[in-house]
Amino acid sequence: MKRRIGMLLGLAILALLPASLVAQQAGGDVLIRNATVMTASRGTLENTDILIRGGKIARIGKNLPAGTARVIDATGKFVTPGIIDAHSHTMMNAVNEGTLSVTSMTRIRDVLNPTDVAIYRGLAGGVTAALLLHGSANAIGGQSSTVKFKYGRPVEEFVVEGAPTGIKFAMGENPKRSNFTIPGQPPRYPRTRMGVLEVMRDAFVRARDYKRSWDDFRAGKTRVPPRRDMELEPIVEILEGKRLVHAHGYRSDEQLNLLRLAEEFGFRVGTLQHGLEAYKFAPEIAKHGAGVSIFIDSWSYKLEGYDATPYNAYMLWKAGVNVSINSDSNERMRRLNLDAAKAMKYGGVPEQDALKMITLNPAVQLGIGSRTGSIEQNKDADIVIWSEHPFSPYAHPEMTMIEGVVYFDRKADIERRGLLAKEREELEKLDINKAPGSGGAAPRIPTERVRGDLGHIEDSDLDDHK
Amino acid sequence: MKLLLFAFAALLLPASAFAQSTAITNARIVTVSGATIERGTVVIRDGLIEAVGAGVNVPADARVIDAAGHTVYPGFFDAVTSLGLQTRPATPQGGPGGGQAAQQQAAAQSNSRYPAGLRPEDAAADELRAGEAQFEQARNAGFTTAVSVGRTGIFNGRSAVINLAGEDVAGMIVKSPAAIHVSFSSLGGQYPGSLMGTISAMRQMFLDAKRHQELQKMYAANPRGMRRPDADASLEALIPVLDRQIPIVFTANREIEIIRAIDLAKEFNLRLIIAGGHESWKVADRLKAIDAAVLFSLNFPKRTTAASPDADPESLEMLRFRAEVPKAAAKLAQAGVRFAFQSGGMTNLADFSANAAMAVQNGLSADAAVRAMTLSPAEIFGIADRTGSVETGKIANLTVVKGDALAKDKVITHVFVDGKLFEPKAPPARPAGNTGTGPASAVAGTYNITIEIPGQPLTGTMNFTVQGEILTGNLTTQLGAAPIRNGRVTGNRISFAATVEFGGANIDIQVSGTITGNRIEGSIDSPQGAVPFSGTRVP
Repeated sequence: MKRRIGMLLGLAILALLPASLVAQQAGGDVLIRNATVMTASRGTLENTDILIRGGKIARIGKNLPAGTARVIDATGKFVTPGIIDAHSHTMMNAVNEGTLSVTSMTRIRDVLNPTDVAIYRGLAGGVTAALLLHGSANAIGGQSSTVKFKYGRPVEEFVVEGAPTGIKFAMGENPKRSNFTIPGQPPRYPRTRMGVLEVMRDAFVRARDYKRSWDDFRAGKTRVPPRRDMELEPIVEILEGKRLVHAHGYRSDEQLNLLRLAEEFGFRVGTLQHGLEAYKFAPEIAKHGAGVSIFIDSWSYKLEGYDATPYNAYMLWKAGVNVSINSDSNERMRRLNLDAAKAMKYGGVPEQDALKMITLNPAVQLGIGSRTGSIEQNKDADIVIWSEHPFSPYAHPEMTMIEGVVYFDRKADIERRGLLAKEREELEKLDINKAPGSGGAAPRIPTERVRGDLGHIEDSDLDDHK
Repeated sequence: MKLLLFAFAALLLPASAFAQSTAITNARIVTVSGATIERGTVVIRDGLIEAVGAGVNVPADARVIDAAGHTVYPGFFDAVTSLGLQTRPATPQGGPGGGQAAQQQAAAQSNSRYPAGLRPEDAAADELRAGEAQFEQARNAGFTTAVSVGRTGIFNGRSAVINLAGEDVAGMIVKSPAAIHVSFSSLGGQYPGSLMGTISAMRQMFLDAKRHQELQKMYAANPRGMRRPDADASLEALIPVLDRQIPIVFTANREIEIIRAIDLAKEFNLRLIIAGGHESWKVADRLKAIDAAVLFSLNFPKRTTAASPDADPESLEMLRFRAEVPKAAAKLAQAGVRFAFQSGGMTNLADFSANAAMAVQNGLSADAAVRAMTLSPAEIFGIADRTGSVETGKIANLTVVKGDALAKDKVITHVFVDGKLFEPKAPPARPAGNTGTGPASAVAGTYNITIEIPGQPLTGTMNFTVQGEILTGNLTTQLGAAPIRNGRVTGNRISFAATVEFGGANIDIQVSGTITGNRIEGSIDSPQGAVPFSGTRVP
């Protein structure tokens, strides 16, 4: 459900900064002074300081000595952990490899685009990390990537080191494709929900056989080494509990089927994505131990979404399920703070648990909960300073930092806009940037993703991920 | 009788044919490999450079070209082209229907297990057309040598270095295979259908090729009790790449694309070359670290969006990207990254020297620019021992220029390819540089044209109607009238396809041309070869 036409011109301009200009105040100790700190794990602390040293939260307390640290006065401001979006397709130059029903050989890591302006817009909304998922065009999709939004840094620095690997699964309308055909692609098996489940089961059986063929070879039972199969290796990792399954689905019956399939093969599903009907089987989810990552209040945008309710988050929370609220959208990503607030409105999730749904809970779902997601000593200094309470519709991030480095600074950003306007003016004067005169190409709506030609998400791309 | 025979022979052969050698005298000689000789002689014999220097004697049997006021350069070398190749269908895999049939046909003709588009074994050497007339435009621009490779598919195939003369293909080839070329494209309609799938598919193929090589070794050592490895042409073709015997050329212009190519090359320890490389300067350190070279495209990016107050502004990133491209070569040179120039599919080769000159204006030394179109590509493709500079014993690929090689007003007077002399006609007056800004309406009209089929010039008319970028009309010759298909106008350039009937067969032709004032010229490409045409507009 991602459309790129809606260009946010203001942010478009301020996001296009050369790396050297990005408000990255590298390294060094930082002291955030006198803030209202919403820790997301240990309540809200008034008039509190946070000392950041070496990218980590070194101390939390009152009247901490600054020492050599740079002091940021946050009097009257709110501080939260960085927001983590557990379902995103930002900074991806391709979303779906939809030609096959199993594309576990594909890797989001291969198509990351660190210059995507949406990253910067996310930072401006307080987002510091995301789970980047393959689309939902097939029963088993590609390998996911867990990133921090280190805009301006080289691509390899975005990837969270040591984060568990993941993979996208999908059930229902999108993978079965019985309601539409893709131009240029022949109809593809499966065409039913039962077929989708069969494709998954078949992949697990094949992966089990594949593993056995290697075990036999290593045990000296066979002479010729098996072919390394990039499709099955990640599925073996799922079976071994080394790779998290993030499964797109809407209907409670088929999501329950997936949990049963996983139990049959002896692994635990990482997250049920979307899960608009998850409230219907919350106890089963809790028992299985999967997380659920939902939209707070979108529904009925497709047939599968008719049974949704904004009380979903509350009911899952009540049942003891780890719930996160995701965006699945470059635009919605910047408003996840308000989505969390809605969990308080509908059912009455307590404030800290609502905040957790966009911070610590997704961190746990991504397997990085021990290093980020809350404001605690020794955790990464992934921190947002808000103009006011983050659940207020008037709130906006004033500063967003990752591991103690400032990646978004609203004040610096506003100051830079004049410079950028001037730079644009100069650049447009160059011959090489001059538009052809009359008779040239017709005006078009430029997409900022013009990179040549291929694989990029265009408006013509099917919305095959929500 | 003897006299008669002699007279007959004399009739057939131009006088120069009697000369055993050629001497270019009184020339300024830019050897590239060594110091420039301000006034010297180059002697050519039997396709090779026999002698070079200030004090070289002119052999008695030499045909002498007095090149006073001229400069002799090594023949220009275009580091990536599709010269001499038949135009393959743009998408062999194509959409539904026809594409699949073509695919099945292609599959039937190959022992590869991989689909068309994922076949590194496709060899330019097998697809080159005979005949040297097709290279006239390139030679007129001073080019004697080019790397030629197809442009379709993910694996574009194996390239060949060719000399731009010779009537048969075998004689053109200087080196084959030169490299395996790759584009980050996808197959559409089948796996891999996305950038993500493309990278994964290549990764799997490299793993398959490694295993293929292992199995071959095992089988060679002891075939008993072992199923014989398949003779898969695609995997066989990748083995020399995995062994670093031949390089792999990734077409990649943007920084992130280049980084993806570097990452893949590092994963399999490949000898990487980047083609295009417009943003290669941004990753110069990474390229240097693995000694990857760049075949830098002088086809600079152009803005296509019309200036309209209603249009959304272009992104600052795109404006910056374009602004930096002319500075890129200088930055590569400064960082010590090896690079050569290529035409990058430009439609007007005048842009080549104009944009090389722009690179010089932006900080590249003029010597480095000339090197990037002569000796550097020869080095990158491992043939600097036989071509790329003006040195004794090397192939006599030479370009004689009145004026400076990069100057707008230069005149290329003589081009030697394998020692064979071509004398370009004086180029028509036409603005160099980034042209293509003329109003489309200046294209419309009727043109009387001559198609210069060797020995049999054909006259006719071209009738153009222009609406925006769309070109319609007819091409009329004594073979009949053919409607224009897929006609496009970009600035003062036109291109279209048509089908003409000849001898009961339908021949598909591809026409491209440039209109300057009332004059049109260009070339007509057909499976039989490319021929130039020119003409004037009927007032």
